[in-house]
Amino acid sequence: MDGSASGIQEPFDLIRLSLSERVFVKLRGDREMTGILHAYDGHMNLILSDVEETIMIVDEGDQATVSVAKRKMDMLFVRGDGVILVSPPSRT
Amino acid sequence: MLVGIVHERLNPLASAFMDESPPPPDNESPPPPPPPTYTGSPTDFLKGVVGKKVIVRLNSGVDYRGILSCLDGYMNIALEQTEEHVEGKVTNRYGDAFIRGNNVLYISAAEQV
Repeated sequence: MDGSASGIQEPFDLIRLSLSERVFVKLRGDREMTGILHAYDGHMNLILSDVEETIMIVDEGDQATVSVAKRKMDMLFVRGDGVILVSPPSRT
Repeated sequence: MLVGIVHERLNPLASAFMDESPPPPDNESPPPPPPPTYTGSPTDFLKGVVGKKVIVRLNSGVDYRGILSCLDGYMNIALEQTEEHVEGKVTNRYGDAFIRGNNVLYISAAEQV
């Protein structure tokens, strides 16, 4: 399949080109994180370092309020089946 | 893997309706040509939309609109110039985005294939 301008032949190329870069990861359970990508595999299991996780907590009360919790981790293994989206840093 | 591909020109009901509509009266100018009907396998459709604007809907209901750079057999998707839409509002933008295939509900062509 044609990779248009960026020279990408398959979706995993996008991830390969992001190794050692800070990536944004959207996960199941209203979680997002950014971290430096050290390794990945075909399941999209990820090894991230210097991670900041953001958890959106929806409070379904009278008026639904969204609160945000953040936490930091030095080194993290992310199981692939929780991954929805990975976005590399914008290369401009 | 079963994935619904939503596209107006793939709608079998619409084409069935077109086939059964009565012929126009003779005294009118010739009817406009029927809209192009899409023939081909799902794979042909996907090959046709690479490089085009698409809307990817996930099982969660979130939409991603962007240019489809490529996809693989798991339906993992690479998108460019991606906008994330939740309930009709843009909630995020990504220069590039990798979407893990298991989350994909459909891929819709957002421009002529």
